[in-house]
Amino acid sequence: MIAGISTIGLGVSIGASLLQLIAVVLGGPLLMGLMVKIRARAEGRIGPPIRQPLLDLRKLASKERIHSEHTSVVFAVAPIALVASVAVAIAITPLVSTFPVLGRSADLFVVVFLILSGSVALALAGLDSGTAFGGMGSSRAMTIGALAEPALLVAMLALSIQAGSSNLPEIVSSTLAHPGWIASPERLLSFVALLIVVISETGRIPVDNPSTHLELTMVHEAMTLEYAGPELGLVLLGQAMRLGFLFALVANLFFPWGIASGSNPAGFLLGTVILGAKTVVLVTGVELIAISTAKLRLFRVPELLTGGFVLAVLAVVTGLVTR
Amino acid sequence: MLIYVILGLPLAAAVAAGILPWRRWVGWMTTLANSGVAFLGVLLCAKTVNHRALGALDGSLRADALSAFMVVVIGTVSLLAVSQTNRFLRAEIDRGNSNIRHSSLYVVLVQIFVACMLLAVLSANLGVMWVAIEATTIATTFLVGHRRTTGSLEASWKYVIICSVGIALALLGTVLVYFAALHIDGAHLTSQGATALNWTSLQANAHRLNTGVMRLAMALLLLGYGTKVGLVPMHSWLPDAHSEAPAPVSALMSGVLLAVAFYALLRFKAIADGALGVGYTRSLLVAVGLGSLFVATSLLLSQKDYKRMLAYSSMEHMGLIALGAAAGSSLAIAAVLLHILGHGIIKAVLFLSAGEIYLVEGTSIITEVPALLTRRPVLGGIFGFALVALIGFPPFSLFISELNMVRAEIAVGLTWVAAVSLVLISVIFVAMMTHGRSLLLGEPASMGDPRSSSRTFAVPLITALVASAFFGIVAWPLAPLLGAAARVVAR
Amino acid sequence: MSGSSFSQMLELASGAVLVCAILTLWRSDLHAITSILSLQGVSLGVVAGALAAHTHDGALAATAAVVLVVKGSVIPMLIRQVVRRVPGGRETSPLINVPASLVGASFLIVLAYLASSKITALSSAAATRLAPIGVATVLVGFLVLVTRRKTVSQIIGLLLIDNGVALVAFLLTAGVPLVVELGVSLDVLLVVAVLRVLATSMGTVSGAFDLDKMQELHD
Repeated sequence: MIAGISTIGLGVSIGASLLQLIAVVLGGPLLMGLMVKIRARAEGRIGPPIRQPLLDLRKLASKERIHSEHTSVVFAVAPIALVASVAVAIAITPLVSTFPVLGRSADLFVVVFLILSGSVALALAGLDSGTAFGGMGSSRAMTIGALAEPALLVAMLALSIQAGSSNLPEIVSSTLAHPGWIASPERLLSFVALLIVVISETGRIPVDNPSTHLELTMVHEAMTLEYAGPELGLVLLGQAMRLGFLFALVANLFFPWGIASGSNPAGFLLGTVILGAKTVVLVTGVELIAISTAKLRLFRVPELLTGGFVLAVLAVVTGLVTR
Repeated sequence: MLIYVILGLPLAAAVAAGILPWRRWVGWMTTLANSGVAFLGVLLCAKTVNHRALGALDGSLRADALSAFMVVVIGTVSLLAVSQTNRFLRAEIDRGNSNIRHSSLYVVLVQIFVACMLLAVLSANLGVMWVAIEATTIATTFLVGHRRTTGSLEASWKYVIICSVGIALALLGTVLVYFAALHIDGAHLTSQGATALNWTSLQANAHRLNTGVMRLAMALLLLGYGTKVGLVPMHSWLPDAHSEAPAPVSALMSGVLLAVAFYALLRFKAIADGALGVGYTRSLLVAVGLGSLFVATSLLLSQKDYKRMLAYSSMEHMGLIALGAAAGSSLAIAAVLLHILGHGIIKAVLFLSAGEIYLVEGTSIITEVPALLTRRPVLGGIFGFALVALIGFPPFSLFISELNMVRAEIAVGLTWVAAVSLVLISVIFVAMMTHGRSLLLGEPASMGDPRSSSRTFAVPLITALVASAFFGIVAWPLAPLLGAAARVVAR
Repeated sequence: MSGSSFSQMLELASGAVLVCAILTLWRSDLHAITSILSLQGVSLGVVAGALAAHTHDGALAATAAVVLVVKGSVIPMLIRQVVRRVPGGRETSPLINVPASLVGASFLIVLAYLASSKITALSSAAATRLAPIGVATVLVGFLVLVTRRKTVSQIIGLLLIDNGVALVAFLLTAGVPLVVELGVSLDVLLVVAVLRVLATSMGTVSGAFDLDKMQELHD
């Protein structure tokens, strides 16, 4: 495959990567807005407009940079590292097209590693600020992460066993070739496991409630409490991108229809639209589940995540059994 | 026809006892039914002793010498146990522990229990055998919990849970055997259908069964049916259930239920030996047999309760039987079967007299019942003689069977196993003698109210003791039958 | 039923049996666990039904119907009656906590997969390959039985073991002969009925719905 890529192919490939990046940078905040909106409507309020997160980002970007005098360079670099790691993950993952975007680098282990390094950067920043809240948030985030990351990895491993490759484009395209796989038990199991992980990774109810600033329940919010201005904007953007990326990835892994398979730019645009639609449906479903669930007490969170991990292991074993 | 009657007698007795309110004569009627079973069992033995097998119900019931022998064991021990039922129930009603309705239920369940055991040994199908053995668990649960005290409820809870789990594993093993039978020589056979679980066809095709599956299956079966036999590692229900159950029920459970479960193992062992050679099952049986002996020995040493002492002794004897079966030669199996019969009779006598002791003394702690022999000579005498028989004194038949099992073990090269078991037997010997001495001998604190034992109690039990001694001296009526039965499963 | 949709159906339903077993470890609400058990019974019935439709086996179809009725509704109903008497209706103090038992379960699942390699080697049929799922259900049932201390939880563990064995039986041999299967179902039903009576009378005699309160018999 790599040998076959011409300069034009490379251009198209880079174009596709850029398109994905733009789609997620814009789409992630919109998805966050959508979730807030759905919750508001379910509670009988009108709620802020869906584009509110984008407006917030613009406002934050125009503000002045303020650093606490106790912080080091880690604090300043972390938001950039977060956004950059997510951006690389987005660029190499097949979201709008199965066209091998950056050769064979779109390995699922690479993607999981990139996502993880973003989380680590944020946790370091939380510790670096030296405040009680920051440290608490970081330690909680790492507790959850230590459980969630293996589950994420194992759940995706189940998919790669089925497809016979850990290369994401190949997983997606072989799913397209075998639509019967969608209803196989290992798919369903790893789907549930991935949903659990994604919910905890992106800080949604029932694991974390992003709209609260109550110290007892804060996880992600506590880490970013010291940020302000453009850097807070970057952190929020990074989180929104990660949310959008994970949902889009799950949507593509399990419902790959509509993804562009050639190098036709029109196909890319269609793929973007369909990806948007799939992701919106998925997010709506998750949010509806979240609304009906009370937030878990913090010490129940490990139970949920180990549950996710077990489901992922189950998916792998089932995959081995039924192969 | 004979098979139908044997199965029908206890069922008919159960139905009659269920319809009629409990009276003494209802109890005697069930005793009559069970003596009928014992008698017809002897008749069945006579018909099958020359290696003939009787079939019934399109071949789903089948009786060969081994089944016939087990029918005799079940008939004899149940006759012994049921003959004491009237005394037991009357005493319970007099003490206000029970009423007519509970007594009726008791009689019905005992008869169903006997019928299930008979079905287990007469079934040609290993699946039906499983169903029958599981049904014995269900029938005996309420019998164990008959007194409805906290202790008896706890015992029956443990009994049902542990035995059901064990039996579920045995079902898994049975399913695996069936699976192997459907895939003989790698080909998928569907034509066999329902007969594939018949142990005759399994035994005939044993050498063609897949070895990997059979290994797994035999381990599960040994674990599963071993639970009901009271072998380690899932033996913990046994002492509780046997000590909490009413005496006649303990006699039935210890005397025959364990043996019926072991019968199932013997059948499967014959199949597994054909598929895997004798080595695999032998090592498994040696492991669980020695394990059971160790556990029984260690808990017998410091036992304070004479009913639990008897329960652990059952475990010891089941361990010995497992070791005998491990040897697996004709001699060994014949000795195992003789041991099953001897242990069934002696243990029934012991549990029944222990029940009588509990009834008159009101305690089951050994040290609180001193000098029984002086105060109640007949009761103490029966208990004493039975205890002596149990620990393997000649002339009782347990001596002969233990001797022959050890001989058979040495003959097949299991000398170290025989040596270890002999050491453990002698430890148990000392322990039981010590417990027996403090129970039977010593200075009576007060004479109390010397009561002579009733004739309905003494006569059947003494007859049983005499019979056991008789079989220990004279092999005549049993030797050809044991030989024929042993050849059914021995290699 | 066509080949691929048949095997898909089989995979889904057997997967559901195992997931239900995991869920009983996960939840502590006994009412919810009872519903999960009912779902497991239904899945088991679906497995039998799919096999019956595939092989056009009338006896197996009858078995499937029996399993659906007995394990899908009758047994859960009996258990629900016991659960109603348990104060609080929750499994409060398992011997090992939920995350640990979930991790334990994942080890057991891998163990089941390894242990069944001899079985799956014997036949390449779609159903045979799924047999480890049944074995895993049995092992998870053991875990429930050993670590849970409520009487009801023990009944549930027992039923998990039983459902696992039944699943293995269906997958490997397309069901044991009908008469055996009927006997097995009847036995299971009776065991649950017996346990229900026992649990109830233990509750009334000593107020014990906890096994830790049962300490009267020991050496």
